[in-house]
Amino acid sequence: MEVSLLDAAVKGFANLLQLKVFAAMLVGVSIGTFTAVAPQGLGIPLVYAIMLPIVIKWEPVTGMALLIGASSVSAICAAYLPILFGIPGGAGSQATILDGYPMGKRGDARRALGASFMAGGMGALIGTFTLAAAIPLAKPLVYLMGSPELFVVVLWGLSMVAVLAGRRPVKGLIAAAFGLLLATMGQQEQSGIMRYVFDLTYLLDGISISIIALALFGIPAALDLALTRIGIEKQAAPLTGKLFDGVKDTLREWWLVVRCSFLGVWVGIVPGIGSQVVDWLAYGHAAQSSKDGGASFGQGDVRGVIAPESANDAKDGGDLVTTLLLGFPQGVSTALFIVALLAWGYLPGPEMIKRSPDIIYSVVWIQGISGIIGTLIGFGLANQLAKLAQVRYSIMVPVIFFFILTGAFSVTRDAADLLLVVGFGILGYFMRRFGYPRPAMILGLVLGSLMERYLYRSMMSYGFTWLARPAVVALLILATTSFFFAIRGRMRSAAREAEAVSGDYDG
Amino acid sequence: MTANFTLFLVVVFIGAIWWGWEWPYIAKLMPVYVAALPGLLLALWQLYRDASGWEKQRHEVPDKTIDMDETHGGIADKQLELRRTLIFFAWFIGAAAGIWLVGIVITLPLLVFLYAYVDGREKLLTSLAMGGVGYAVISGLFEYTLEMRWPAGLLFGY
Repeated sequence: MEVSLLDAAVKGFANLLQLKVFAAMLVGVSIGTFTAVAPQGLGIPLVYAIMLPIVIKWEPVTGMALLIGASSVSAICAAYLPILFGIPGGAGSQATILDGYPMGKRGDARRALGASFMAGGMGALIGTFTLAAAIPLAKPLVYLMGSPELFVVVLWGLSMVAVLAGRRPVKGLIAAAFGLLLATMGQQEQSGIMRYVFDLTYLLDGISISIIALALFGIPAALDLALTRIGIEKQAAPLTGKLFDGVKDTLREWWLVVRCSFLGVWVGIVPGIGSQVVDWLAYGHAAQSSKDGGASFGQGDVRGVIAPESANDAKDGGDLVTTLLLGFPQGVSTALFIVALLAWGYLPGPEMIKRSPDIIYSVVWIQGISGIIGTLIGFGLANQLAKLAQVRYSIMVPVIFFFILTGAFSVTRDAADLLLVVGFGILGYFMRRFGYPRPAMILGLVLGSLMERYLYRSMMSYGFTWLARPAVVALLILATTSFFFAIRGRMRSAAREAEAVSGDYDG
Repeated sequence: MTANFTLFLVVVFIGAIWWGWEWPYIAKLMPVYVAALPGLLLALWQLYRDASGWEKQRHEVPDKTIDMDETHGGIADKQLELRRTLIFFAWFIGAAAGIWLVGIVITLPLLVFLYAYVDGREKLLTSLAMGGVGYAVISGLFEYTLEMRWPAGLLFGY
């Protein structure tokens, strides 16, 4: 039975009114905070990979509370490392260094942190509202979509690998093909035929994506820490100044926050732009649109902190628009979130809007509430969190080992789980070493089974005539156009870089 | 070395096509036609690029475009890097073998303690405390609270 979206929104909130859900959100928020502040090498993909085998056995909303809680807060608290140590706190917090660190060095670290928490919190809420507003807009489109249209949407998501693989499109496509191949292992749902099972009972259901993700991302991250022996040996900027001054700065620059937040949401929604650019786009916009022409940027201008942080935190809402409403992921974290949704029995995309809109609204509520909690944590525990940034590798590496092995072994509790995690850990090491993008492989793995399911249904129901359905044609044109523009934009930017570099050489 | 890894992928794709070739059309559509065949062609192209040093020449001009995944940075001293990498994998494989042989409840707290004490050169007390917390998590949280029953090791019943 279908419910109205208002009922779904109310039910989505009611789903959260359980102690265990709230506890899971708090655990997620704590993990996300630690991830944001801990030394480089950790990130939300690793947290998702570690937590996935555990949370998929929980009730869906409880598991979502942990995952979304962690990612939402991680973005808000990502400003510690840039401001206090002058090193990136994550993919979307690199531009914060440019003005955050000079502010820290001149004794305004708390002011910069205050601005970043406030801007991040406001950005997260704007991202969440956009996600909530997108659901009623997307719902009418859902009824136009059958298996053929869904197949094209998934294909569109997969085609983005060529764009997301950046300067290694061929390696990205190879990795995606490898992921697709792995996704077909096991007994085929449609025909019952055993594919690549080699008479091993363990492989009947295919290989667990959680183990693969855990190994591919966890092992290289731990190895990085063990190789570089990083803890942060650098002296932190003094934690002085007033947090509230940063809040006042942010409120004064509210229009900049709104603009940059919508920029972040846009980057999140549009496939192929990638989280690595969101902070730079916002920073560039803030500098270009400032009255002094950006002259004070790079020297500790608080707007250089506000712009990237608001955009980075709003992006998560945009990411979830594409992930939940269209069903294709924008990166590793959202790909792993889709894995969790599939394990709980939800098919993200149009089918989920049709059948479980309350769960989508639960995600919206969790995202909003954890954004607020993250902001409060940032304000309340600024001094204590700064100390977490100095955790040594000798403590981090065994902790990561512990969770990787526990996570992997908890999937089926079979010795073969251990063999797989070791094997894919070594594969992840080589992929990273030789520039094969691991996210592309995960995308192939996640989208592979969906693609096969929709393709099979389309062929069985319509033969090849599904290719002529108007919605399929429209989606194919849309996908091709977006792919073409994304590739052209990338090639132009590469050409500009090359010209600039050759100009530098000539000069 | 990059070419060797690409060659490995070529072999995987050839193997996948070989095994899947006799399957009915509906079963081989995705693995063979959508994944393995295009994968093989791309991998062969990449193999040519690796073997001819195409990528290396191109990267002499620094490329600042976005990358989907971080690449391996490593450390300056390559011998030290190799040694630390081998030690790292020895710990990891040793831990996996330990779980298989004596069970996870014994192995993981022991791993945490030993890694912190031997490799990380943490103080004995700190290392013992870390191992203790590890035991509390694996036994208290997972086994007792979450009622997750871990299988016994090959050698011990616990």
